[in-house]
Amino acid sequence: MGLPDASGDLSSEMEVDAFRRLFPLRFYERHLAESIRPDGRPLGRARDTTIALGAVTSADGSALAKIGSTTMLAAVKMEVMTPSMESPDEGCIAIDFHMPPICSPIVRPGRPAEAAPVVSKQLSDTISSGKAAWMAYLDIYCLDADGALFDAALLSAVAALFHLQIPAVSLNDDGKIVVSEEDGGKLEKEPVNKEKRKLTLRSIPFSLTCILHKNYILADPTSEEEAIMETLVTVVLDSSSQLISLYKPGGAVLAYTSAVQDCIALTRQRVRELQKILDEANSGMEVD
Amino acid sequence: MEYVSPEGLRLDGRRPMEMRQIRAEIGAVAKADGSAVFEMGNTKVISAVYGPREVQNWSQQISDKALVRCEYSMANFSTGDRMRKPKGDRRSTEISLVIRQTMEACIMTHLMPRSQIDIFVQVLQADGGTRSACINAATLALADAGIPLQDLVTSCSAGYLNSTPLLDLNYVEDSAGGPDVTVGFLPKLDKVTLLQMDSKLSLDLFENVMQLAIEGCKAVANYIREILLENTKQLEYRRGL
Repeated sequence: MGLPDASGDLSSEMEVDAFRRLFPLRFYERHLAESIRPDGRPLGRARDTTIALGAVTSADGSALAKIGSTTMLAAVKMEVMTPSMESPDEGCIAIDFHMPPICSPIVRPGRPAEAAPVVSKQLSDTISSGKAAWMAYLDIYCLDADGALFDAALLSAVAALFHLQIPAVSLNDDGKIVVSEEDGGKLEKEPVNKEKRKLTLRSIPFSLTCILHKNYILADPTSEEEAIMETLVTVVLDSSSQLISLYKPGGAVLAYTSAVQDCIALTRQRVRELQKILDEANSGMEVD
Repeated sequence: MEYVSPEGLRLDGRRPMEMRQIRAEIGAVAKADGSAVFEMGNTKVISAVYGPREVQNWSQQISDKALVRCEYSMANFSTGDRMRKPKGDRRSTEISLVIRQTMEACIMTHLMPRSQIDIFVQVLQADGGTRSACINAATLALADAGIPLQDLVTSCSAGYLNSTPLLDLNYVEDSAGGPDVTVGFLPKLDKVTLLQMDSKLSLDLFENVMQLAIEGCKAVANYIREILLENTKQLEYRRGL
């Protein structure tokens, strides 16, 4: 198979695609040497991110987050439950991450993707429980898998919880909690909370996944980059720049402290961007 | 309960022969060969098509045709109460089979032997008529993937409540216990490929209700054609033609 000439000038489109498929690592290294990636991004920049709140009208809180092509839809549904004996004041949150076969050509129906339970576990460790005896079911569906799944999932989960409005409930005669109707309803029932209220979040976690390859650090990988260069580092910081979680599941490249610190610095920058995007999405909602 | 008021308005303010608002979008899933989002009122469905590609399970390969697979699943939050088992339950398996057989009838499978075409449909919001929305979304996704089809397959449902034939039932009307006729229609060839009904309906009324559903299918077909035409114009524009 002839290699393209040393000047790097690839004459026809067919050659580039073939080179990309047959020698992916070399293809990427030629780009990294110029401090750029095939989609034109500098090494430390993440892809365009958008958040849309309230994507699913039948859920109590929902959000659609897109990082580049990776799309995640998160929705929260609240149910009333009896609190446990040890913590009568605490509710509970159940997080479920799904990767339906539509998201990627490598996911087969009947066989859950390998990434799914890993991301589920990571999310459970990061998000803490809410108040009152509510059971919140947070379901995240991956609609398009193009790398950085955890980042997009966390972002959509956080945005959905941000958008969440706990429905108004009242205690009816049998002592059961019943969701009360919007338009007043019967006055015999004493409403427990008068109107829908938003969830108060203590501190909002944001994350950034980076790939380490030799001495390059690539922020926000696409699925192609993840497949070729396997060493991932995920850093989760909260809005006050405190470290919540650091996740490096093995990989060929060993990270020195300096590399980890660089990742954390990149994440800090990303947190500011994400905070701005979330605030814009939220104020966009409130104007309506 | 009254589903059609004396003035002739339904619960959501529609007339008996009026469909809900439809909206479709092509190319929602970047990774898929073809994809589409289809909305009928509050029912929202996303569909992705992967194929034709190599058969994943070699023993299932067919030597003279393409293998068509379909999976229907509902998101946990799609219905009013959270669903525990979104797929693998009997209803999902049945609908997967129905969609597969409907689409298989119109895909020219003999042109792609020994290959596999996967159709995945995910219901994001369910408000009645999910079967129809899924078939419409699958048609759009197949067209987006460039898979050769004999004709578009469009689908719509109709029912009969309070002595009135109603077009495009929503969830409340569907759970009223009256008949629900779902029709899958090929508009150009003028043929019916899917016909399902539940509950009871007398024969003379059935003819009316089925015709109403077919009219609905034709309306959906017109809309789908417009969307596909618009999409092709966009592609031409991007290529600089």
